[in-house]
Amino acid sequence: MNEMKEKLKAFFMSDLGVDGDVLQFDTPLFGEEIGLDSVDSLEIISFVDSNFGVSMTGVAKENFQSIDTIAAYIESHKA
Amino acid sequence: MTSDDKRCVVTGLGVICAVGNNVEEAWKSALESVSGIHKTTSVDTVNCYADLAAEVKCDSLDEIDAPEEKDRVSKLCIKAANEALADAGLKNFNDDQRVSVVIGSCVGGVLSIEQYHQHGRDASEIAKMPIASIASQVAETCGAGGIVTNVANACAAGTISIAVACDLIRAGKADVVIAGGADSFASVPYSGFLSLHALDENGCSPFNRCNGITLGEGAGIVIVESYEHAQKRAAKQYCEVLGSGVTSDANHITAPREDGLCLKEAINRSVKNSGIAKTDIGYINAHGTGTGKNDNAEMTAFKAYFGEENPTVSVSSTKVLTGHCLGAAGAIEAVFSIKALTTDTVLPTFPYSEEQSAALKEKVGDMDFVQNKARHKELKSVLSNNVAFGGTNAAIVFSKESGNVSAQSAKDCKIAVTGVGIVSPLGNSKAAYLEAVNADKKPESASVHSTIALDDYKELGIKMAFYRKLDNLGLLQTVSGMRALQDANFKVSDENAMDIGIIVGTSEGGLGATYDFEELIAELGNAGGSAFKFPHTVYNAAGGYLSICSGIKGYGVTITTGPLSGLDSIGYSMNVIHDGQEKAMMATGTDENLPIITEFAQKLGVAANDVVAPYSDSEGFVVGDGSVSIMLEDESYAKSRDAKVYCYALGFGHGRKNVKFGKLVGSDEALDKAIADALADAGITAADVDAVCGFANGCKKIDDIEKGALKRVFGEKLATMPLFEVKERTGEGRAGSAALAAAEAALLLSGELANDNAYFVAADGSVSAKNVESANLKKILVISFAAGGSYSAVVFGK
Repeated sequence: MNEMKEKLKAFFMSDLGVDGDVLQFDTPLFGEEIGLDSVDSLEIISFVDSNFGVSMTGVAKENFQSIDTIAAYIESHKA
Repeated sequence: MTSDDKRCVVTGLGVICAVGNNVEEAWKSALESVSGIHKTTSVDTVNCYADLAAEVKCDSLDEIDAPEEKDRVSKLCIKAANEALADAGLKNFNDDQRVSVVIGSCVGGVLSIEQYHQHGRDASEIAKMPIASIASQVAETCGAGGIVTNVANACAAGTISIAVACDLIRAGKADVVIAGGADSFASVPYSGFLSLHALDENGCSPFNRCNGITLGEGAGIVIVESYEHAQKRAAKQYCEVLGSGVTSDANHITAPREDGLCLKEAINRSVKNSGIAKTDIGYINAHGTGTGKNDNAEMTAFKAYFGEENPTVSVSSTKVLTGHCLGAAGAIEAVFSIKALTTDTVLPTFPYSEEQSAALKEKVGDMDFVQNKARHKELKSVLSNNVAFGGTNAAIVFSKESGNVSAQSAKDCKIAVTGVGIVSPLGNSKAAYLEAVNADKKPESASVHSTIALDDYKELGIKMAFYRKLDNLGLLQTVSGMRALQDANFKVSDENAMDIGIIVGTSEGGLGATYDFEELIAELGNAGGSAFKFPHTVYNAAGGYLSICSGIKGYGVTITTGPLSGLDSIGYSMNVIHDGQEKAMMATGTDENLPIITEFAQKLGVAANDVVAPYSDSEGFVVGDGSVSIMLEDESYAKSRDAKVYCYALGFGHGRKNVKFGKLVGSDEALDKAIADALADAGITAADVDAVCGFANGCKKIDDIEKGALKRVFGEKLATMPLFEVKERTGEGRAGSAALAAAEAALLLSGELANDNAYFVAADGSVSAKNVESANLKKILVISFAAGGSYSAVVFGK
């Protein structure tokens, strides 16, 4: 699980330009500090799909709130 | 009534799109409600959820001079331009300085980028890549020798080009303008819109299903001519082009504002500048892309603006015919709008079932949303509007009547330079630049670039939530723009956000980002595009980010012509202020040096191997970059807020002698013309000029052009006249360097730069250098160039 979260964190840093210093596993992604928006959600969905084989298309917003919630969703929906 | 000298008329039309290779065919399709949307045959659709496009089918695109030197986008544009010129009864202009070309585009020569990347990195592809090649190659084809430029505001570019054409004519800078837009369908935009989930797998259905767009391709050309010129040659006149309006959302890089506020203001400006009533508009050709966000925002803006005064105005989107042709959209839709106006026809959006019509009725109320079939309606004036990535909104009015156009209403105002923001390989502030000059710094290698640091964000209060989204070009532009605002002590507020605009000048714009995107999808396939990266491929993203960061909501245009774009941004900004469109303008020049940009320069044989100085008779130059932003204000506006004044922008001029795009040699005399034009515009003579900020970069071919023209213009005086050459410190930063030369002039005239190294050209052509004090300099000429044979000049004075 932690490995998955680290992988997600690395993705946020390299692909979405997020500064790693302020990104904890429970940091709100769509809050003021990180400021993700709908374009970023598309990138998250695409990353999760191709790296973990889990589709998050159309999934409720609360699952995208933090690295923790995304990882939890992936964990519970893995084939 | 609009005075005759401010009237602009349409004298020729040309189009090529999925439903016709000329105006007659396309118009017939429009009247018969024929859609050009089919399964795509030109891009790979493996694993892609949508596979429709509206592609051009035409066998004769190569029937032009040197087709191998042109990208498909230029071929489409030349085809439409030739039709429009023939329709207008015009042909080869023999470098006539009164004939201009303004072409809008979004992705430019993207197919040549793909070709270069996937097929052997052939140097012959490079000159076909930038958007700047399009207008230049159209000008070369027909011998247009006036201002030749491209508007790069993505999906609003075609509309803005026609607006700029009218601005040039009304400012007395041109008699005839070949204006329009062109874009070709390709993997990069296809994959990009797929990644945004913005394509409708069933084909676009504007204002109806609203599931997304379908991409198209093509070109539209409108010959805009001064009324007096058209009358003199007894030309057929389709209609008048009245006012236009351009605004920026300052909200989101891809999505329009939900409240349609700034789109409404663009429409308001176009009608107001036309001097007509809201009720005079009988038909609106909407942007109507088919995305819910666009269509809802547009409908909101229409209702808010036309409201109870003109509740039954007819509206439709013609994108079911042509697909979304991006930078060509506004131009093709202008052709449809003009045909609609002159034949008293309103065009439909289709297909709508009875149930869908009923649902639409709920949405649009009394508005006459035209469905399924074209029909007759007496029309006096029509409006066409487009919106774009970067938050650009544009609207323009075509009319059977001459209206009461407001133009050049502030012609007599003096234009003050009130702020400077400098990002260069020397550092990211004016202070860093001044320090580097005082230390006589030179480039550290033959390829140098600017680097934005965390401290820059901190000093400017830019949050990570914002800057993380930006690509390199956007970062350079945002930091230099915010520095200029800070330097001018200009606080953007709700009250003044619409009083200030931005013109970004760039030579390569998003070319580097487009190349990156191409690399990505070549590896992952078209289904593997990045929604995060795709917006950076549009050239106006950098200006859009600056608008979002600063809150500037007025005029917002990105022009791309080559290095001189960094000076043209100043010249056009002067015109926007003189036109009374804005009180203040941020004029910028921005280009980046990514590894691929240095690779292009090396492949073209213009990159030096070692650090070279201007006038060193070298074969190449140091590849550099930078972004410089300059605040210009109506003097009275600047004084009302106690702004510090560096100097005044006194005059702007241009010259062109057509040579092939990618070349410069043979066009020398056009620089003389640009200088003479700028001096005349400033009301001074060569004798009044105290110094020149030039464009020499060390490459002999380029430096000799500057030397030769200055010798012809200034004669013996040249031997004692200082030439300041900013590229000796930053390398060739294209538009960034052109704007830096302007900033250098402002710093010298204001005394902030007390002295700098200057070059002197002796009568025998030999060059020496010495340090010169700025105290006695009162008027400085700044010059720049662009491949294809264009030159610009701006005069600054104390």
